[in-house]
Amino acid sequence: MAELHIIGQLVGATGFPHNSLFCKWGLNAGGAWRLLSGSKQGQTQVDNPQTGDTAYWSHPIDVHYATKGLQGWPKLHLQVWHQDSFGRCQLLGYGYCHVPSSPGHHRISCATWRPLGSWREQLSQMFVGGGPQLRSPDIIYSGADRYRLHTEAMGTVQLELAVILRNFDKYGVDS
Amino acid sequence: MAANNPSVFLLSVNGQIEGANFPSYDDLYCKYCFVYGQDWMPTTGLEEGITQITCKGSQSSHKLIWNFPLDITFKSTNPSGWPQLVLSVYGPDVFGNDVVRGYGATHIPLTPGKHTRTLPMFVPEPTWRLQKFTSWLWGRRPEYTDPKVVAQGEGREVTRVCSQGFVTVCFNIIMKDMKKLGYDSGPSNSSNTQSYATTSGWSTDET
Repeated sequence: MAELHIIGQLVGATGFPHNSLFCKWGLNAGGAWRLLSGSKQGQTQVDNPQTGDTAYWSHPIDVHYATKGLQGWPKLHLQVWHQDSFGRCQLLGYGYCHVPSSPGHHRISCATWRPLGSWREQLSQMFVGGGPQLRSPDIIYSGADRYRLHTEAMGTVQLELAVILRNFDKYGVDS
Repeated sequence: MAANNPSVFLLSVNGQIEGANFPSYDDLYCKYCFVYGQDWMPTTGLEEGITQITCKGSQSSHKLIWNFPLDITFKSTNPSGWPQLVLSVYGPDVFGNDVVRGYGATHIPLTPGKHTRTLPMFVPEPTWRLQKFTSWLWGRRPEYTDPKVVAQGEGREVTRVCSQGFVTVCFNIIMKDMKKLGYDSGPSNSSNTQSYATTSGWSTDET
C-alpha cells in the first residue's frame, strides 16, 4: 500500500475581528485511507498575543496514512473560535484545505468564512456576540449542500505542512 | 550488504539558534531539546543545550544574538514522529528571579537544504487576574513542568497562552537513504527562507 505522511504545524491565524483565538481541526479522508498513527483531530491552545494581530498556536500535526486508492485525498478542516475573558466561546470561522498532493514543504493560507444570520441575529450579534453555527460540520468540507447559506468573509489560518509520499511511483501514480 | 539494502535512514541536522526578538524583555538565555517518536534514535550530537545570556545590542537592530550551534544526527525507520526542536527562553524579571519568557517548537525541516525558521514564542497565562498579580509579585509565573509538552498536540485545549516574541533558527538538512526506502520527500530547496512574522507587521528586524 502507498503511504502518506503529513507532518507540520497549525501556525496561527490573522485577520480576525477578535484576538484570543483557538482552532479546532480535523482530517477527513475517503474510505480507502487508513490512519496508521497520529491523531486526526485536535484543538489548539488559546493565544492572546501581546502585540500584533496574529494569534500563534504552533500546534504540531504528525499523521501517517496508508491508502489503496486515490479517491478521497485527505482534507484538513478548521474551525476558528474566540474565547473572551470570561471563558465564553464564539465561532469566528470555518475553512478547509486539501492536503497538498506534491511531496515537499508547503505554506498554506486557508481563508475562512462564517454563516450570516437574519438581520435580527446580526444586530444581536453586534451587541451580545454569538451567532449562527452550522448544524452539521460536514458542510465545511463538502460542496453538496451549501447553496442556501449566506456567509461572510473572515480571516486566514496559516499552516505549514510537509508531505512525504511512499511507494506511489511503485503503483504508477505520478505526484 | 547493508549499503545496498538499507533499513534505516539518517537525518543530519546542522544549524544554529541565531537569535531572538522580544520587544519587552532583555538578558535572555535559551534552552533547547529535541522531541521525537519511538522509532527515532539520535546517533551523534547533543540532545539538549543551554545558551549564554545575551542582551540587546545598542546598535540600530535590537536583536538578541545567541549564535548557538546545533549539531545532531538521527536515525529512523519511519518518518512518523519526525523530530521537533523545542526551545524555551528564560530571563530575569524586575526582582531578579529567573522566569520563563517563551516556549516554542518546530519540526526539523523535512527537505534537504538550508532553511530558516522563525518560531513564535508563547508563555502560559494565569487563569485569574489576581493570580496574574501575585505571580508578578512573587516572580513565580506559570510554567510547564516539562517544556516538551509544547511539541505535543494533545491536551492543549485547556491552556491559554500569550505570544510575546520570536526566535530565529537556521537549519542545514542532509538526508541519507530516504529515497532508497521508497520515501519521496520532495525536491530539495536550497534557499528556503521564510518568516511567520512578515505578515504581522511585527517583523524580526524591527524594535
